[in-house]
Amino acid sequence: MKTDENGHLQDGQIICTVIDEGDLALHNRDHLLVCPLCKGKVEKFSAGLQAFGQKARQSVPPFSHPVKLPPGKQPAPVAHNAGWLPFFGAAAMAGMVVFFYFMGLTTKYPAKLATLPSQESLLEDESLMREISEMIEFPLPDNMYEITGDNGIGFEDDFLQFVVPDIEEDSQSELIIQGGVKRC
Amino acid sequence: MEAAENKKNTLEVASLVERARSGDRVGFQELVSMFQEDIYRLAYYRTFSQMDAEDLTQEVFERAYRKISNLQDPQRFRAWLYSIAVNRCNDFLRKRKFLAMLKLRTAEEQDVRNTDVDTDNKFTAGIERKRFWKEVRTMLGRLSAMEREVFTLRFMDHRNISEIAAILDKKESTVKTHLYRALKKVRRHSEIFREYRESIS
Repeated sequence: MKTDENGHLQDGQIICTVIDEGDLALHNRDHLLVCPLCKGKVEKFSAGLQAFGQKARQSVPPFSHPVKLPPGKQPAPVAHNAGWLPFFGAAAMAGMVVFFYFMGLTTKYPAKLATLPSQESLLEDESLMREISEMIEFPLPDNMYEITGDNGIGFEDDFLQFVVPDIEEDSQSELIIQGGVKRC
Repeated sequence: MEAAENKKNTLEVASLVERARSGDRVGFQELVSMFQEDIYRLAYYRTFSQMDAEDLTQEVFERAYRKISNLQDPQRFRAWLYSIAVNRCNDFLRKRKFLAMLKLRTAEEQDVRNTDVDTDNKFTAGIERKRFWKEVRTMLGRLSAMEREVFTLRFMDHRNISEIAAILDKKESTVKTHLYRALKKVRRHSEIFREYRESIS
């Protein structure tokens, strides 16, 4: 920052001097020592700021409620020996290692670690297979087939033809073949 | 002489802090007695409310009481305490602004909290004080948040540049830059410095 044409300090330099005179260039500091005008400006501004600070301090309402510390609680003393913390940290790390080890085993060898529900389903399958085998070995008597209508080959042909006739013998089917438009 | 006095004061504070850190309640109470008015003024310069400033002062010391074992260097107690106070005031002002936005605090309640309790019952002095704080609020309102903070700490709380840098956790050059900008605005526009402007023009 340059001085003005007469070599006096500019406003910005006055402010810098008020903040910290040490930040002023050496030749400006020398000028300040010998120039009553610049010195007067700096002193007036500093005095104005100081007076302002004093007035602010005096204008604050009095402090009427002194601080009361919480009852019974001492400030927590500095803990110099926290030996339990590394122990718990190590235990937590060991637990995590074991956990991930077993997780890895489950992924690699799923059959070896079959769970209870899958064992139960295997047992169910086994009993069902046994039941089917018994049915094959010991089929139902003939009179049971008569009641159910199940003779091993389905319903009689005449009955089926009545329920679901072939497409060539159906009047509605003729309409579809002709293009699907019904003429009244 | 002043430097020697300051050093003696710092050593005394450091010794009290060491006692407080080892669990000595009386030691902390002495620290409270030394600093409570400074912290109250700091809070008042930011809230302009006596009741809010007193509440904040109580909160600051309660927090310092709980956290004093975290303070590594007892000689930095003052900067550490001021740092807690500045942060707590900023939190309070943010909350107050938010509540005002939501209009959760009525205008009357706001006025009651902002009105000083004139215990002296001197009518003229009360009016003069109100006028002064109104001018201060107008002046500080022209500054940015950081400019306002450094200006208040420097010229109202009377902290030096290195202390301000420690309180705000900024470099000294940063503090000086903000202070320079604040003074430039204040000197040019504020009614408080009108006399100075007229004298130099």
